[in-house]
Order: sequence, then structure tokens, then C-alpha cells
Amino acid sequence: MTTRRRSALAAAPFTGILAFFGVWEAYVRLLDIRPLTLPAPTRIVGHVVENLGFYADNAAVTVTEAVLGLVLAFVAAMVVATVMTHSALVERATWPVIVLIQSTPVIVLAPVFLRWFGLGIMSKVATAALFAFVPFVSNAVTGLRSVDADRLDLLHSVDASTAEIFWRLRLPSALPALFAAGRICISLSLVGALVGELYGGSEGLGFQSRTAASRSLIDQLWGSIFALAFIGITATLLLLAVERRVLRWHDSVQSV
Amino acid sequence: MTVLPAIDIVGLTKVFDRSGESLVALDGLDLRIEAGEFVSIIGPSGCGKSTLLRAVCGLLPIDGGRIAIGNESPTEARQRKHFGFVPQSPALLQWKTVRENVRLLRDVNPRTHANASTEAATDADIEHLIAQVGLADAADAMPRQLSGGMQQRVSLARAFALRAPVLIMDEPFSALDEITRAEMRFLLLQLWRETSATVLFVTHNIDDAIVLSDRVVVLAGRPGRVIADERITLARPRHEGIEDDPVYHRHAATVRHALHLGRS
Repeated sequence: MTTRRRSALAAAPFTGILAFFGVWEAYVRLLDIRPLTLPAPTRIVGHVVENLGFYADNAAVTVTEAVLGLVLAFVAAMVVATVMTHSALVERATWPVIVLIQSTPVIVLAPVFLRWFGLGIMSKVATAALFAFVPFVSNAVTGLRSVDADRLDLLHSVDASTAEIFWRLRLPSALPALFAAGRICISLSLVGALVGELYGGSEGLGFQSRTAASRSLIDQLWGSIFALAFIGITATLLLLAVERRVLRWHDSVQSV
Repeated sequence: MTVLPAIDIVGLTKVFDRSGESLVALDGLDLRIEAGEFVSIIGPSGCGKSTLLRAVCGLLPIDGGRIAIGNESPTEARQRKHFGFVPQSPALLQWKTVRENVRLLRDVNPRTHANASTEAATDADIEHLIAQVGLADAADAMPRQLSGGMQQRVSLARAFALRAPVLIMDEPFSALDEITRAEMRFLLLQLWRETSATVLFVTHNIDDAIVLSDRVVVLAGRPGRVIADERITLARPRHEGIEDDPVYHRHAATVRHALHLGRS
């Protein structure tokens, strides 16, 4: 591949984003669209920069809820998936419950969590965790099970313990599937935290966007949306960077 | 001095349940492999070669008969790390370097060492082994950076690093091209000469079987049964070019004939 082509490929994502916002900006200006309908991106960015403290404080709340929810979902999913992987009986008993959670629109449980955990951070963390749990657990079970038979025979041939097989073989083999789930679950836990804030609370970007919508504070509404998009993209890029480092041995990373 | 065990297989029976139907893979198979002997099992696909090997290794429960590794059952031998296992694929841990892969079997189950009369292989021994298989410059490489032949060298070194008295090999060269395969045969012989472990080597390649073995046991299926047991009279040590020896051709013809009989 030539240097020119490589540079073009590296620049392509930024070009795409710039083109998207360029078209948006031009559409609003050329057709003189009212800000109440759709504000221009430059106007939204200007508003966010002017009120950076406000957005940083609320973003910190939402990010904390989402991260705690993500961690909780990951830990719970790993425990459940590990037990399922080692017991066919538990696996058969657990899958229907997972399918039940998956089939239920978990958004309806947000008010239930508000009743259980109150208006504080816990209800949002619980909602975020529930949103992220199912993708994590299904990918974790798939990953922990997708162990090469020859490698398993090899470790059994020296009587490796279940714990050794887990740490040396199953967990590393499951990492690609866990990172794939992580990429999905970052957005889901963020959505979960927002849903929790929309149903009840007094801070966070979800709460502020709800307030802005009810009071027609269009700049604040779009400012919250931009802040959330920024958080989502940053978190995804961070995870990708970690994934590239941790999975440098794996085809999915090598081929990128 | 290591006490090498013989492998005694008496009346071995293994039945698989395939969707409610019984499939008899092995039916009363008898075989004895003397201590320090290199025996190849050869036969067509599905004749029970790998089933036999996995049963000997204690990786598969049996439905009848008896297997003894010296005075031990396969499970006891496995618990004492007495098997240096070489699977069909190199089965390297992709997230570990060559060096870490070679150390793997030694480091797993660390309270047990394969050879109670000597210490486990030291790190220096393992470096020597890596050099012996020609990978000294690639010791820090990741498996994906290696060719198929190099990966199989790591797999061999990993088994020998255990210093196990019994080596169990399941068609380890089956995915290699003919030139690499020929190199690997003599590398295996060179490593084995230093240990003289008892070897059970499964293959479907007549050249592998004759170049490497003291005996070639031909299986026919199904159920798997011994139809020929050819003692290889070629002198050791064996060198490249042995394939041109008339004795070699006689053994090859006998084994080939037995394989044809087993098919018909």
C-alpha cells in the first residue's frame, strides 16, 4: 500500500465527520432554518464552550453512572457466564432467564429501580447495568466456550486444574468476544444511565436534556446531545485503543 | 535415571453414542508398547487411532478393558505429568511468546513434575531446547509470526520440555508440506534420542511411521482392530536418505499392503 493511500485511509473517518457537519451547517444557513427546529453545529458548539463548566459537571455524573453500570454488568456477566460454562445444568436453567431479560424492553424497569433504589445514583447504575448485562453475558459464554479442543486436551494431559484452564486458556480465548461486547455495552450503559435520569433525578445530561426539552431551551437540548455523542465516541475510541494493545496477538486487531 | 514405562492395552473397548446409536470405535483391542519403544499407529480416517491415543492419555473414559502406563492408570500418569502430549494442531497459545509456550506444560500444575527422579527443566534447559529446534532467534516472537513448520517445532519443544517418560503424538505433521515434514521427522528423532521416552505416534503417513518407529501397528476400522504389527529393522540412528534403503521399501510395501487389506 502506498503512503498516499495509507494517509487517505487514515484521514477518511475525519473527512466523513467533517462532511456530515458541513452539510448540516450549510443546510441550516442556506435554507435559513430556525434554531428552534434545528440549530447549526457551530452555534451548538459555541453554546457548549460558553457553558463548559455546566456540561462538564453533568457529564461527570452521567459518565460515573454509566461506568459503574458497565463495571457491574461486566462483573455479574463474568460470574454468571463462568458458572454456566462449567455446569450444563446451570446453563440450561439460566438461558431462559437471560432470554426473558433480553426479550423484555428493559426501559420499563427504570421506574421500578427508582422505587427500589431512590432518586440517587444507584437507580441509574442499576438501569445502566441491566442494559449492558445481556450482551456481556451472551458474549462471555460464547467466548469462554470457544476454546480450541487441542489446547484443552493439552492442558488436560498435564492435569491442569479448572482454575488454571480458566485463567490460562478460557479467559484469554474469550477476550475478543468480551471486547466486541464491550463496544456495544459502552453505548448501552450510557443509554441506561440516561433513561434512569429521564425518569427521575436532579443532575446529569439526561436530566438536563429533559429539562431543556420541557422549557424549550434548544441550545441546552442540543448541547446535551453533543456532549453525549462526544462521551460515546471518546469511550469507544479508548476501548479500541485498549483492545488493540491487549489483543495485539489476535487477527481482528492485526487486520485493522 | 528415569524409569521408562511400558504401555499395556488389554481388551480396550470404546463405544460412542451418536444420536442414540451406538458406534463401536474400538472393540477388545490388545497392544503392548515396550518401555522406550517408538510405536506408530497407522490406519485410515475413522479407524479409531485418535480414540486409542486419547484413551491411553486418560482424556477419554473407556467402556471396557484395561490400560496401564507402567504401574499406573492413565489418570494417575496424567496427574503425575507423565505424558508429553503433541496434538494434531500446534495448539499454541496465541497470546504467549514462543518461549512462554515452550514453558507452558512445565508451568501448569506446578506442584507436580513429570520426572520425579530429576528436577523439572530449568529456564536454561528450555532455552537450550528452543535453540535445538532452531528457534533461538524467534524465542520472543508471537505464534502468528511463525510458519506452520515453526509452530510445530514449538509444539515439539513444549512436549520435550516436560521431560515426560511417555510421549503421545496425534498426527503432529499432518498439516505440513512434504519437505518440512521430512525435516520434522529427523528433528523429532534427534530430540527423542536424548530422552528415549516411550512413544505412541499416530499418523496416516507411511513414511512418518517407518522413518520414526521401532514398530508400525496397522489399524483397520470399524471397529478399530490391529491387522498388522510390523517391526522396523532399520538401524538407528536414522538419517536422511534412509528412504532409499531397500529394507525401507520392503517395510513400506508391507504396511501399504496391510492398509489395503484393512480397507477391503
